[in-house]
Amino acid sequence: MELFASQLLNGLALGSLCGLFGIGFGLVFATLGILNAAQGCYASWAAIIGLAAAEKMGAPFPLIMLAGMGGAAAVAVAVDQLGFQPLRTRGADMLGALITSIAFWMILDSLAGFATGQQSLSFPSTSYPGQMLLTEPVPLPAMQLITIAVLVAVAVGMHLLMTRSSVGSAIRAVGWNPVAAALGGVNSRSIILLTAALSGAISGLAGTLGGVLTSNVSFTLGQGLLLKGFAAVVVGGYSDVRGTAIAGVILGILEVFVGQYISTALRDAFTYSLLLVFLLVKPQGLFGKGSLVRA
Amino acid sequence: MDYLSDLWATNRSTVAFAMVNSLFALSTYVVLAAGFLSFSTVVFAAVGGFVGAQLVVKGVGLPFVFGAAAGGGLLISLLVAAVFLRLNSHWMALASLALVLITRVVTLNAPALTGGVNGLGVPLALPMDWLTGVLVLTVLAFYALHHSWFGVASRVLREDPSVAACMGVDLRQIQLIAFGISGIVGGIGGAAYAMLLQFISPDTFFLGIAFTMIAATVLGGSYHWFGPVVGAVVYTALPIVMQAFLPHLLQEVANGVVLLLIMIFLPRGLIDPRAVRLRRAAPAAAGVMKIRA
Amino acid sequence: MTLRLTKPLLRLTAALVPLLGATAASALDAGTYKIGFIADRTGVVAFAGVSYARGAELAVEQINATGAMGKDTKLEIVEREGGSDAAKSIQGYNQLVADRNVIATSCCIFSGIAGALKPIAIANKVPLVFYGATMPGLPTLPYAYNVTGLPGPQEVALSKHLVEVLKPKTVAYFVLSDNDAFQARFKASQAVFEAAGGKTVGVVTALGADTDFTAQATQVIALKPDLIMVYVTQIPASSFIAAVRQRGWTGRMATNEAVSPIAVFKKIGPALAGVPFSVNFSADLTESEAGKAFVKSYKQKFGSDPDVYAGQGFTAIQLIAQGLKSLPGKPTREQLAEAMAKFDTIQNDIYGGVTLINGQVESKKNLFVNWSPDGKIVPWKP
Repeated sequence: MELFASQLLNGLALGSLCGLFGIGFGLVFATLGILNAAQGCYASWAAIIGLAAAEKMGAPFPLIMLAGMGGAAAVAVAVDQLGFQPLRTRGADMLGALITSIAFWMILDSLAGFATGQQSLSFPSTSYPGQMLLTEPVPLPAMQLITIAVLVAVAVGMHLLMTRSSVGSAIRAVGWNPVAAALGGVNSRSIILLTAALSGAISGLAGTLGGVLTSNVSFTLGQGLLLKGFAAVVVGGYSDVRGTAIAGVILGILEVFVGQYISTALRDAFTYSLLLVFLLVKPQGLFGKGSLVRA
Repeated sequence: MDYLSDLWATNRSTVAFAMVNSLFALSTYVVLAAGFLSFSTVVFAAVGGFVGAQLVVKGVGLPFVFGAAAGGGLLISLLVAAVFLRLNSHWMALASLALVLITRVVTLNAPALTGGVNGLGVPLALPMDWLTGVLVLTVLAFYALHHSWFGVASRVLREDPSVAACMGVDLRQIQLIAFGISGIVGGIGGAAYAMLLQFISPDTFFLGIAFTMIAATVLGGSYHWFGPVVGAVVYTALPIVMQAFLPHLLQEVANGVVLLLIMIFLPRGLIDPRAVRLRRAAPAAAGVMKIRA
Repeated sequence: MTLRLTKPLLRLTAALVPLLGATAASALDAGTYKIGFIADRTGVVAFAGVSYARGAELAVEQINATGAMGKDTKLEIVEREGGSDAAKSIQGYNQLVADRNVIATSCCIFSGIAGALKPIAIANKVPLVFYGATMPGLPTLPYAYNVTGLPGPQEVALSKHLVEVLKPKTVAYFVLSDNDAFQARFKASQAVFEAAGGKTVGVVTALGADTDFTAQATQVIALKPDLIMVYVTQIPASSFIAAVRQRGWTGRMATNEAVSPIAVFKKIGPALAGVPFSVNFSADLTESEAGKAFVKSYKQKFGSDPDVYAGQGFTAIQLIAQGLKSLPGKPTREQLAEAMAKFDTIQNDIYGGVTLINGQVESKKNLFVNWSPDGKIVPWKP
């Protein structure tokens, strides 16, 4: 029973990271129509920037998170403006954007390698709440609870933003049809900038938390999150924040439980098969209501 | 003479990789030309690669190796098409990416067929004349296809599906044929790649090669069969050229920057039939086209 | 031109002044001998790749500075970046081999890439020394050599030692399921424990690309084994050990040399202390003169202690240099290969007692060590 509870917590925390990253990834895919291969780099760079804030300035934990998010948002906006905006102004299809995102992936990963000296680094133990809230009967690491809480907060916040606020309607309008949105009085340029920054910040949050939680700050951090976040987006439906968050958590728990109770060798086979089944049976995702996709 | 033979020895493998990447890019292109961004060429290549490698180990002759790889690729591509063609184009991209991830898990867990985690040695270096022959035949086939009923129909389909429907083009049929061709070419490419590497493992057919294929195709231009070939050559040669000028630490960054610049200034790729048409047309007509675009 | 004029004179001096360690009656022709080197300074294993390349760099610098090859005889590394990518490595390797001045080559961390380059080396009759790959059967005389110990002997030695000292009744393993070398190591170790009555209570696996190991840590702890054996690469090993200790496990763990670089201790800190592993080279513990000299000059040049990987890169170049030194005149690649095939030891041996058997370096010495709480590698005491 203790084992079950303990693994449930591990799964929840792992899934929260995937879900969080997936929300950022899905936002770009749904709104800007870009399959962004560079999204994982935002997470790596957030962790690297967060680590710099911790080591160079001795920043407290909330500031470390903010530094990571802000840094990743800046990187995301730069990628968007340098790599995607020229294609938009030329009216090119977003296939080109996939390639420019691959280009940024190469550039940012390579630079991240140099930033960490090709090593995997970790946050100094004094820079985050690393203690156990309980050790008996179930170990309860503070960081795992924080990660889960962050996912809940971000998912609820983003869902409300997207469905209840005028900014959210504008983002969805741009995602639906930028020309029509512009005719309707939406300043699509600033909405695109906002979307890119928001997406970068959320993926960056996942990156910083992941860097602390897994004691790994390197470019491999983002690559791992990219694959798992991608799965969360597919299962959850990319245009729905709730779906992505829940799918991330389900996948995290599933991964842990398949490893614990069935077979660790088959763990990934399970995750990805589930992915395929969802794609085929329910391609709109968990909360999908028909297709929201431009031709 | 020494100089020439040294030059050839230096670059022979780069030429060979460019040729195999051309096959992969053509395989990706034919599906893209039918309106789908798909990474599934990796899967076809993996099937062709492992089937080919197993046959080479058994000492089977090259014609049969390529034949079986093409057959294997075709089979798996039709299977993929049957399942995936229900999805719209956005989901297809994601689903095919998921399939690439699954492929690695499967190859890892089927050691009898793939050597599993230890990989598979391929005791035969692909002769250059064979590779050249295979590529020339494939390119000729694509040339013929471009001017065939299938080529015209798939171009119309990509530009405007409703016009295609009016012309009586059967959407599903075109897409199924496109996947079949992609499977054959991808399978052959996989077998050629296996003999070029002479050692394949689950990591051979994974994300790296998936993004290489797509990047080469789009970089070269996905609106004409010649585009992917040019794209594959440029994409393969680029790092080698960079290596000659830059310290190794900057190479990867420089590769990314060049790729970025090409896509920003030539978003439709290096080979763009529309640009050629525009250049031929009168300036006024060009203006009209631009507004429409 | 000056080189050509002075050559006969040099040959004369070389004949008159016997060089230390030179076995041939007449010495190597003066000039620069190029060694082609495929480096992995970038990519997923760059953390080790940088060290390998630095070790090789230092070896060449030392040989040239001391004139060990002869007064006007120099070695030079021609490096191509492989980036842990098979296609890139093959292209770079073909370029190196096509350069007629390249007399020998060295490469590779990944077994798959090593397996791909070996046929090219054999076809071109050029010596190839693997500095990091561990696949069994890689060496093929006279062309292919491996200076990295095979998986197996080290694990067997450590496992036997642990059996003697700890007598574990139950053993759990944490292994990478998609890494051939660690699979082999795990199996070798498991055989030793089971033969000695150490029951396998669980084999928990992860994939090389995983970054979260909290679930595996929980799973292993729940098995309550007498001993946890960790057979994974650097990042998973450090993250896993940290997670296990954080969850309050105070029981026995043992791992492999992946945690021996100082970067790992810097990252994980005291949680790593007291976890034994087996390693054949450690800057803190080296006893041989060659080893001490290597540590000193490495520290001078790069500002940090050499790790086990740097030692292997260093040794790869030593093997090639030793071959060249034994040859008179202007040897061909083939002659160099034949000369290297005759060796059964490495002269400038930083390990203190390695042998070369059928092209495979084997270390007689196994240090059972662990990190001390203040970050030094010290002999392990249970």
